[in-house]
Amino acid sequence: MSSIGSSLNQQHSSAVFAADKICWLVDEQLILDCLTFEIKAQEFVGIIGPNGAGKSSLLRCLYGLNEICAGELTFQNKPSHTYTRRELAKQIAVVVQEPPTHFDMKVSDVVAMGLIPHKSLLAFSSPQEQITIDNAIEMVELSEKKNAAFNTLSGGEKQRVMVARAIVQNPQVLILDEPTNHLDIQHQIEVLQLVKRMQVTVILSLHDLNIAAAFCDRLILLDKGKIVADGSCDQVLTQQNLKNIFRIDGQIDQHPFHSGRRITFNFTDGKVNEI
Amino acid sequence: MKFKYSFITIFSLILLIFSLLAATVIGSVDLTFGQVFETLFICNENQNSGIQNSCSVDPVYQKIIWEIRLPRILMAFLTGAGLSITGAILQSVTRNPLADPYLFGISSGAALGAVLAISVFSSGIISVTFGALSGGIFSVILMLTLAGRAVLQVERLLLSGVAVSFMLGAFTSLIIYYSDPDTASTLLFWMMGSFSNSQWQDLLLPAISITIGFILFLIYRSWIGAIQAGDEGAFTLGIPVNQLRLMMLIICSVITAILVAQVGGIGFVGLMIPHISRYIVGSTLHKVLFMCVTIGGSFMLWVDVVAHSLIPDQVLPVGIVTAAIGSLFFFLILKSRGRAL
Repeated sequence: MSSIGSSLNQQHSSAVFAADKICWLVDEQLILDCLTFEIKAQEFVGIIGPNGAGKSSLLRCLYGLNEICAGELTFQNKPSHTYTRRELAKQIAVVVQEPPTHFDMKVSDVVAMGLIPHKSLLAFSSPQEQITIDNAIEMVELSEKKNAAFNTLSGGEKQRVMVARAIVQNPQVLILDEPTNHLDIQHQIEVLQLVKRMQVTVILSLHDLNIAAAFCDRLILLDKGKIVADGSCDQVLTQQNLKNIFRIDGQIDQHPFHSGRRITFNFTDGKVNEI
Repeated sequence: MKFKYSFITIFSLILLIFSLLAATVIGSVDLTFGQVFETLFICNENQNSGIQNSCSVDPVYQKIIWEIRLPRILMAFLTGAGLSITGAILQSVTRNPLADPYLFGISSGAALGAVLAISVFSSGIISVTFGALSGGIFSVILMLTLAGRAVLQVERLLLSGVAVSFMLGAFTSLIIYYSDPDTASTLLFWMMGSFSNSQWQDLLLPAISITIGFILFLIYRSWIGAIQAGDEGAFTLGIPVNQLRLMMLIICSVITAILVAQVGGIGFVGLMIPHISRYIVGSTLHKVLFMCVTIGGSFMLWVDVVAHSLIPDQVLPVGIVTAAIGSLFFFLILKSRGRAL
């Protein structure tokens, strides 16, 4: 009896997020419909699904911008709503979809914002902080653009700056909302490799299924606000799901360069295209 | 084109001190720097300690400096600095480069209050200053009430402000339309702004409110910077975005209402100086705020000098000079910036 209890406890304590039938609605329209899942420490979880499936809404529930209207969401074994925003911000860093574009802020200023949750308003900036900021900028390989205006950077560089800000925030969980949007393929891979190196729990929404297969340990497939599939990439990326959810035919096979799957879409009518 | 910050700081401080002195010297009675210096630092001490005669400045000149020019100049400085820092903060928290201190119809509210004080309560029961102050604060309260939940969205907040501004402006025009020509011209002149009637005691409230505001802006500068970068991002950093924005809006409104009550409507400084400051030092908030104080203050001092000396024996309304010089200056900046990019 007690051993079952303790093993349950142990299982519970390794979960960073545990969602139990969470719902979220806007104007009486159910956007997230009774989602139940757990995310364990150090997992790299991709949220995939067609446009409007509720990917961003789900992420926003996780970092507290959307308040769930039913169900229970626990973060580190405590109901998520019992944390103050500041407490959450100390543990969860978020890279949102829209990067800042106003009043040409300096790269180092944007990165320095990551320190805000850890810092009292009255504290002066210390040399130690400057080192933290410089290191983060070096990690994303933007040292020579440290004093450049954020607006003058390319899309890939902007996204790297936002990752640097997350690094400075020193979180246990990193949430990214479509971090590879607007990036060319090289920079998509670069940003995700960078995130992977941080060795924290990562939850991100992605559109490119091949990228998802290459980087994620686990995928959650959403459609119309419901979880349709949840599991390893092999379990989630099936021909059936492609056809039913993404409404496209495809062939799924072994990727020639890594251990994951490769998806080849067939958009010439009917016949599967071999490469 | 970005200069080194420490160099700019020293330069702008020197500019401010020079402007303060120059504004004291230039006027309908031309004085010298020596006379001003003597009056400020030698004559006054002697008066206090009862020793006479080591001061060679004519007592009339001393009176001009102490009782007319200094209050006026300090009021000009406070107005320039105050409107500029509130403009900078409002532009940051609304992320709108067109935001300025008169955002919520504070100017039109204050005008309405002043108009009521002058025309309706003409017996002098309430002063113009008090009327303007209550009008300015009333407009902010009205805007926040009417906006309701829209306060949470920046764009709708700004639109509510514009609506209140037009509404109160209509009332003011209506009252001016029905008042006699003398009252109407008094009102119009008041609305165009002037430092001429400033007394020492008038400086107290603006000085206190601007100092407190400046300190609060500095304390919250990192949070304001995060809001400037985006609401959602700021939220994820643990910042109470809506509460902070509301607090900043209210502080800015109070400072503006106090200033408008004293000097009338002086537009454009609060819009323009923050942009010029950002152009010089980048958008790091505490640097921008410091630049706003020195450049905004100096700019207003020179505006006052021009208003007093452009046409002999006549003082032009400050609001007109500000807008005229300001827009020219602004075009130059936009042009040079266009080339740099």
